[in-house]
Amino acid sequence: MDFTNFDFDQLFGMGDDTNPLMMLIWILPIFLFVFYGQRIQLYVTSGEIKKEIGKLDSFRKESKEELINYVNKNLNPKVDSIKKIDQFLEYFTIMPVDMDPNGIVEKVRHTVRSREDYTREHVKSLSPEMSDVLLTKVQTLLEIASSLQMIHKIINHMFLTAKKQNNYPLILPLQMILPFIMEQAEAMKKAIPAFKTGQPVGDGIGPMVVGKMMLSNTKEEIAFQTVLAKTEFEDRTLFLLKADGPSSTVGRPADGLEKIVSENKIDAIIMIDAALKMEGENSASVARGFGAAIGGIGTERFQIEAIATSNDIPVFSIVVKQSVKEAITLMTKDISDKADDVRSQVYDMIRENTKQGQSIVIIGVGNTSGVPQ
Amino acid sequence: MIFSKEKITTAYTIEQCPKCKMQRKRKFIEGDVLFAESEKCTSCDGITCIEKIFGEPIEQ
Repeated sequence: MDFTNFDFDQLFGMGDDTNPLMMLIWILPIFLFVFYGQRIQLYVTSGEIKKEIGKLDSFRKESKEELINYVNKNLNPKVDSIKKIDQFLEYFTIMPVDMDPNGIVEKVRHTVRSREDYTREHVKSLSPEMSDVLLTKVQTLLEIASSLQMIHKIINHMFLTAKKQNNYPLILPLQMILPFIMEQAEAMKKAIPAFKTGQPVGDGIGPMVVGKMMLSNTKEEIAFQTVLAKTEFEDRTLFLLKADGPSSTVGRPADGLEKIVSENKIDAIIMIDAALKMEGENSASVARGFGAAIGGIGTERFQIEAIATSNDIPVFSIVVKQSVKEAITLMTKDISDKADDVRSQVYDMIRENTKQGQSIVIIGVGNTSGVPQ
Repeated sequence: MIFSKEKITTAYTIEQCPKCKMQRKRKFIEGDVLFAESEKCTSCDGITCIEKIFGEPIEQ
């Protein structure tokens, strides 16, 4: 075949002896894409989104099945557990109005705690004699299942609305956020085995560090699901605070801190927590900083900051970087290997920032599943 | 992702003897929690404690 004498005019149908059929073949797609381009893109994109929604639906179903099986196997429920769990999964929370932000934190705290209290009581009603550890496990599994149900519902709603209106721009934001949503949903689904078997998760590095420091000291419950131990270190008093393990809970560290500060003169607060790593950062890298290291909806952080500000107490923090998935699934070896390093950094921080005779509160922030004290 | 292999995470427990510091790695058993006393040390008369619980991925 001779490739040197191509006739481009003939190829594109532009020569004098133009073939009308060839012209039509080239011009038709142009008109097609001008008038129906968005619709074609909508079909292609919606095919991809549909696949992801299918995955979300399977996550939702699997998490619900896992929860029902766990309840039936471990609790011997006295009532129809499937009906009750279905009711729980459909529960929603209406956040307070924020047009007037004055007092919004108290309102949010009240709403969230009411929901937690309600869920706890109703989970307990499935089997009144269940232990606290089991109760927190079921509560966590319920939170995962209801979160996955809500994610599926919202994404499906956005997708069906865009399809119903044949509106391509409406599907664009969904296409953009979906990879992030899928990452979170997959992490939640993979978190189920760890919480079911009571294994420590990546977020538990803070309680793991403080829990070891608490060993062989007398512990007392200072706030709901939160324990305190008092110890001495190089002529300084340490108040060690963490959620009450090995239950799957984060406790109420802000309430605990409030009580400690009301009864003692505190000179520094050190918080140890897991933090989300940025892309490119190494997992399990340790960083020090200032300010309250605590996640969640923000009410605990607000309360800790308010206590620290009104009592003029500096807040230091040490964080262990990890991804969303690492934070809520079984702790990785890299993260667990950092526990001793973080503990020695806490002692360094105490030496560097406080003097002998002073008192320091050390808070291990995070889910304390599988981490007693 | 056609060529990426599926990874399965296996949970392990590390026991350490507080006396002789000998460590032993074994598969996680349900009921294991950190810092709990585990079993008799094989090299001295101490009782081992659970030092770490973590997951290690294995490519399928």
